[in-house]
Amino acid sequence: MTRVLSGVLGLAAMLAAPAFAHHSAVMFDDQKEVTVTGTVKEFQYTNPHSWLLVDVKDDKGNVTTWGFEAEGPSTLTRAGIRRSDFAPGTAITITGNPMKDGRPAAAWVRATRGDGKQFDPRAGFAIK
Amino acid sequence: MTLRTLAALALTALSLTATAQTAPSAEKQRMIDLGIEHGTARALYDHFKQEARGGQALTWRTVPDWTGIWTREASPLFWDPDQTSPTALPTAKLTPEHQRLLKDKLDKVAKGIEFDPLSNCEPAGMPRWLVEPFLKEFIVTPQQVYLVNEMQNEMRRVYTDGRDHPSAADAYPLWEGDSIGFWNGDKLIIHTSQMRAGQYQRIQPFYTEQVETVEIWQKTDPTTMVVDVWSFDPPALAEPWYTRQVYKQLSNDDKTLRIRYWNCGENQNNTVEKTATGTSDFSNFTFTQEDDK
Repeated sequence: MTRVLSGVLGLAAMLAAPAFAHHSAVMFDDQKEVTVTGTVKEFQYTNPHSWLLVDVKDDKGNVTTWGFEAEGPSTLTRAGIRRSDFAPGTAITITGNPMKDGRPAAAWVRATRGDGKQFDPRAGFAIK
Repeated sequence: MTLRTLAALALTALSLTATAQTAPSAEKQRMIDLGIEHGTARALYDHFKQEARGGQALTWRTVPDWTGIWTREASPLFWDPDQTSPTALPTAKLTPEHQRLLKDKLDKVAKGIEFDPLSNCEPAGMPRWLVEPFLKEFIVTPQQVYLVNEMQNEMRRVYTDGRDHPSAADAYPLWEGDSIGFWNGDKLIIHTSQMRAGQYQRIQPFYTEQVETVEIWQKTDPTTMVVDVWSFDPPALAEPWYTRQVYKQLSNDDKTLRIRYWNCGENQNNTVEKTATGTSDFSNFTFTQEDDK
């Protein structure tokens, strides 16, 4: 299931927003959000960015793999997100800022696992 | 909000220079004046060394405890932590040529044209090293200090054994430059030269190969490292650019946080290309069915 929402981030949110490790975020549309529900295909826990790959089935049963980009393992660790949190097959609803060119990828904003646990990868920039 | 929006806001500020910056504090002005008074990084460094009567050598018994995992406190978007608003311009006093270069960059970013050389897996290099986000470690030994940034495995070496820089004839541009330093009590004073040209950050000014820095590092409490930094760069800066950088020690009671080696190219999905228009885009993803470009 896929849905797209529009929204504008406030100044405070901007100032707290992460800088992407090694590339501009210009390929993502931060005025939009896309939310998909599916199952985890693979969690690529890599530097400089991690990718959470999610298989999403449409009404006809066709499967599209979406990729959600986040920061690397140390920032995810600070956000309390471990590699073991997303084993293949895990049910998930995940939201991100989608690619402008329509490819099935997004900058990961938040996620809710099938058991209800919520994950905010950008919390990894908080100093504590 | 993307850097594109930030750049547009900064360009607005460029046309409203009267409101672009707030006056520095008296303490900051004193530090700015110190840089102006001495004129060059070397002269400022020598001034501090003279004040310290040459500095004091450390032993293994007297090395300060700078252990732990650290990260920069301020927004990674701005070089000067005092620039907290995207509607303000950087606090640097730029030469006309570098004002133009900054405006050109902000113009492009406002149009969605942006490419960071880090996308090619290049190191940030000094002085940008100071404001890169993510994890840092500061390792003190009696004769060298190692300043480590997790990103791109960047490690600065600061020689505190009394050696000088290589001669000008033998100097060549280095990612982290060549750093020498001395101790004045619990303060580490560093002079860095031989750096490569680069940018202070994505929507910040550029620096040239002539840039040199002086830093004073001091751990002011168990979780705070304060670094006073002067950048000298005559082609880019009309006067030395003084800023205060602050790093905070992260809690790591369970020892989970560790600095790991990076290979920037280890995941194809992180490959970012410079497009024909000069902006950034991902290459082909591994998770799509075919060539998706």
